[in-house]
Amino acid sequence: MYCVKCGVQLPEGAKKCPLCSTPVWCPDTKAEPASTYSDRYPIISRQRRITVMSLITVALLAAMVACLSICLHITGKVGWSAYVLSGCLCFYTVCLLPFWFKRPHPMVFVPVAFGAALALLLFINWYTGGHWFWPFAFPVTMIVAALTIGALALYRYVKGGTLFITGGLLMALGGACMLIELFTHLVFSAPMFGWSLYGAVVFGIFGGFLILSGIIRPLREHLERTFFI
Amino acid sequence: MSSKGWMPLDNAALIFPAIRRKKWNNVFRQSVTLQEDIDPQLLQQAVDELMPRFPSFYVRLRQGMFWYYLQQVDAPPRVAEDYAYPLTFMTKKEMGRCCLRVLYYKNRLAVEFFHALSDGGGALMFTKTLAAKYISLRYGVSIPPTDGVLDASLPPQKEELEDSFQKHAAPFAAYCPEAEAYHLPGKRVLGSFLHLITGVIPADRLHDVARSYGVTVTVFLSAVMAESIVAMQDQRVPLKRQKQVKITIPVDLRRVFHSRTLRNFALTVNPGVDPRLGTYTLQEICESFSHQLSAENTPQRMAGRIAQNVVPQKNPLLKGVPVIIKSPVMRAVYNRRGEKLGCLNISNLGVARLPEAMAPFVERMEFIIGVQYSYPNNCSVITCNGVTCINIIRSTQEPELERRFFSRLVELGVPVRIESNQEE
Repeated sequence: MYCVKCGVQLPEGAKKCPLCSTPVWCPDTKAEPASTYSDRYPIISRQRRITVMSLITVALLAAMVACLSICLHITGKVGWSAYVLSGCLCFYTVCLLPFWFKRPHPMVFVPVAFGAALALLLFINWYTGGHWFWPFAFPVTMIVAALTIGALALYRYVKGGTLFITGGLLMALGGACMLIELFTHLVFSAPMFGWSLYGAVVFGIFGGFLILSGIIRPLREHLERTFFI
Repeated sequence: MSSKGWMPLDNAALIFPAIRRKKWNNVFRQSVTLQEDIDPQLLQQAVDELMPRFPSFYVRLRQGMFWYYLQQVDAPPRVAEDYAYPLTFMTKKEMGRCCLRVLYYKNRLAVEFFHALSDGGGALMFTKTLAAKYISLRYGVSIPPTDGVLDASLPPQKEELEDSFQKHAAPFAAYCPEAEAYHLPGKRVLGSFLHLITGVIPADRLHDVARSYGVTVTVFLSAVMAESIVAMQDQRVPLKRQKQVKITIPVDLRRVFHSRTLRNFALTVNPGVDPRLGTYTLQEICESFSHQLSAENTPQRMAGRIAQNVVPQKNPLLKGVPVIIKSPVMRAVYNRRGEKLGCLNISNLGVARLPEAMAPFVERMEFIIGVQYSYPNNCSVITCNGVTCINIIRSTQEPELERRFFSRLVELGVPVRIESNQEE
């Protein structure tokens, strides 16, 4: 028996060609095609992601309720348990929420995580009556968020140029260190150009070296040969 | 193998535990189809009796502080009935028990190997010896240890267990950056089912057609495959954005360096054509591939490429890094380089000769390699008893590549009989 379209020979009794799905019409043959494999399928243990996540969520909720009731029982008000509850909610959003989804998209969950961190900081600022959120916590968190999301987007969507991207990001990290220290100086009157200078220099050197090895091909090839990277 | 029954992974095997994924790993299969149905009890007896002869196969994968390593198992694996498709996923738990599976279905016995144990060439000696042992137990014939069947009564030889990469590495690494290759598209099948289409071809006819193009069977099949992929890329990608069409061909280094190791000792060569530069006839692709393979397949060049892999393994800085850090880095390196240089693999084990006393009991042999993580097709070839079996495995729904490839072979005058594991 041959397939009229592909010209290949087919096993006796075949109903259609496995290559082009052309039906085989052969009225004389009543034989069933011989199976080449058994009908046994491997037992694949089902992912119990939903069950595990439900258990963790229930355990965390129970811990939060226990905390709140203990605090209410001892002090008669929400008091310190507010920090625990808000901290738990933030932890849940950052670390556990993505696991509810089969393929969590980092470009969605990383901004959500930073949003949760900002909300926690804003709540603590409001609860303690502080004035540090808008002049300090907000800009610093936004700098870190911009760097992280930028790095993620560049690695994910830009093809090639890894050395330039990593080098540029390291240099930006050095710059971010200095910006953070500037905000510390402005808000808390801390001394200027202390620790951040070390960070800026180290990240700057590393970043510059990576960009340089992206430009100088023999250096890049030597590094690839030596470290297999 | 140490006195405590463990051994380090060979140089090529280091990568395989590191690049394992949740639902993918590097496993391949060899099978022998006999004239009569398999007796599972006798097959189990054969598996048990070969354990002292092949200590490097009866092992489990263990994770150490700095490297993965192989540890000898206490008891041989149990033989089991074959599954609905080849190369079912070998879980971490299973590898922790044994990295080897022995399966049977009707008149076929099959062995599935995790690639860290050995490559196709080394594994073929195990499969042939296992089949010979089974046949001698079943039919009471005496099969001499020739043609790749090892003497099961002897202890394992030292050179069979050596890491030949370390022995044959050149003092300097050969380095040659390569262009990325086109990856075939396709809608992945749901679940982990793998479609297998086997083309059964008379070996002499295939050989004659390959000779008419002045090349070997491997080069001829690679050229036909490349021609099919060029046509597929033409249909899908505008010329400006097309990539090179390259076929990854494993080269058995045992023949190049006269090694007797049963462990991994192979490197790959990626001959290819660039469709942006113009159209190619099959004759031109054959000639180009033949030249590219000849240029790469020299002892000096191979020794240099071995050194390229051995140098990082010996680097004291990398040696001291814990495996939990090293593995993700190795995986990242593999993602960046490992699977980007070829469209698919064509692994040809060549002619598997059998001892005269064994040949009448054997109908044919098959060799199947699993799909890669990032591309959905792979092809493996073996010739035995005058029959060439070309297995094309895929994790996608459409058999377009297989259709183009096998119909082209028919056009070229090679008769092909098709078998598949697809349900009617």
